Amino acid sequence: MTPILTFNEVAIHLGGREILSPTSFDVGRGEFVCIVGPSGCGKTTLLRAATGLLLASGGEVRRHGKLVTEPTREVSFVFQDYGRALLPWRSVEGNISLALEAAGVPAAERPARIADVLAKVGLSKHAYKFPAQLSGGMQQRVQIARCLAQKPEVLMMDEPFGALDALTRQSLQDELARLVRDEGLTVLFVTHDLEEAIYLGDRVIALQANPGPGRPSLARMIDVQIPRPRDQLSTKEHPEFLKLRRELFAFIEQSHD
Amino acid sequence: MTDPVDSHAVAAAAPGRPKQGTAPSGGSALHAVKSVGAKLRPWWFPVAALGGYEWYARTIGKNSDAIAPPTAAAKAFFTAITDGSLWGATGFTLGAAALGLLIAAVLGIASGIVLGLSKRTARMAFFSIEVFRPVPSVALIPLSMLVFGFGLRMEFSIVAFASFWPLMILTQAAVQQVEPRLLEVSRVLGLSPAQRAFKIILPAIVPRLFVAMRLGVSIALVVAVTVEVAANPNGMGYAMMIAQQSMDPGLMLAWLFWIGVVGYAINFGALRLERWVNRRMGAVA
Repeated sequence: MTPILTFNEVAIHLGGREILSPTSFDVGRGEFVCIVGPSGCGKTTLLRAATGLLLASGGEVRRHGKLVTEPTREVSFVFQDYGRALLPWRSVEGNISLALEAAGVPAAERPARIADVLAKVGLSKHAYKFPAQLSGGMQQRVQIARCLAQKPEVLMMDEPFGALDALTRQSLQDELARLVRDEGLTVLFVTHDLEEAIYLGDRVIALQANPGPGRPSLARMIDVQIPRPRDQLSTKEHPEFLKLRRELFAFIEQSHD
Repeated sequence: MTDPVDSHAVAAAAPGRPKQGTAPSGGSALHAVKSVGAKLRPWWFPVAALGGYEWYARTIGKNSDAIAPPTAAAKAFFTAITDGSLWGATGFTLGAAALGLLIAAVLGIASGIVLGLSKRTARMAFFSIEVFRPVPSVALIPLSMLVFGFGLRMEFSIVAFASFWPLMILTQAAVQQVEPRLLEVSRVLGLSPAQRAFKIILPAIVPRLFVAMRLGVSIALVVAVTVEVAANPNGMGYAMMIAQQSMDPGLMLAWLFWIGVVGYAINFGALRLERWVNRRMGAVA
């Protein structure tokens, strides 16, 4: 598999503190990679560096061999705080249109593309509502739709379902898995929920906080060999799922002390 | 009698809304009298004061050149309406204030956005701003008179100077308070700097801009009238000065009253506009 993203000894210092120690890994085309780890281990920082929102202090991130220095439209970012990431003065439709306006899509083509992504996230009936009139899950769907409208190659997701209730989270997980498969997206997904990481990911990368001098932040790399499509009941009873869950829980527990 | 807080609530409630705080029982006639009484309550003091003044001006101050009874002022006021002098002077003052405010708004909002976005520019501009900002606007009258002579230009340039500073500083503060997440979103979506200014920052600061504009409106009006009272032979302020200098206290009081009414009406209109825009800007629910 040819890698889309290459992380080569990426290290990040913020305010004199080492947030991320030199870490290397590749992400292949169409791969769903989840990043887990205790708080403060640099998950979000790594994701921001991969997007170009933040410049690595050491090492380099490359996409298709090209150095990542600033955000591009091929890479989309879903923020956890959907309430702040949407424009409150624009309707659902208007928020999605923003991505198209930024990409210079002619006004005549926008309605069709907006309708298309709205249908994909199941919000066709809510095109004219404003974010404040929608539930949290629906607002996060709007943000995902806005990212899809960009027609990205890579989707970066920073704990996108962390603020949602359990049932909404599960249905959004399944919708996301379906969308990613249909669109052939490559995903980097940060979460603190280990089950979510195993359930969604082709691979789970576990980071550790304060690994100590000379050691990388990357602590574990686990391939998830559970067949797709997955579903909330049978997948979570799959022996492989249980085994990986035990392994990751043990790791997080031990690195938490 | 109900307590004052409750009766104010009744007076403020729109007709048709259920009224709270009124007596639970009693006839509807009594209720109606009470509600009319409550509505009239804010007027008692002004009416009593006017009546007292009328009486004073007609008796003790009968031979004074400095005071005139309200009835004389009202007469002068209606004369000014009918001979058209009221509208001409009002138009001039409002025109100068509006023109000055428009210039101040365009320059103030634009520079406020720049200062709000770039910490470096803000640091560099800080000294110049702090030197010019505290200059009292009235102190500019001699300079402005030299440059522009009497007339509209000298007046709106001073109005623009006076209202520019608060508009710029409030805009700068508003830009600095724009949700940082939205700026990140604009980076990730790849918005151009112009798109970012017009599609993210401007709409995000509109509610605060209206607060700034409301402040600007009152400053503009105050400064415009001040310039007319002090120097410029035009507008409402000058008309009031002329009435005073020609020993016509009735007309002078009429102008004073009218300037107050105009100021109140404009601030009221600005407040209504602000609320309407805030509702439109997605402040739903």
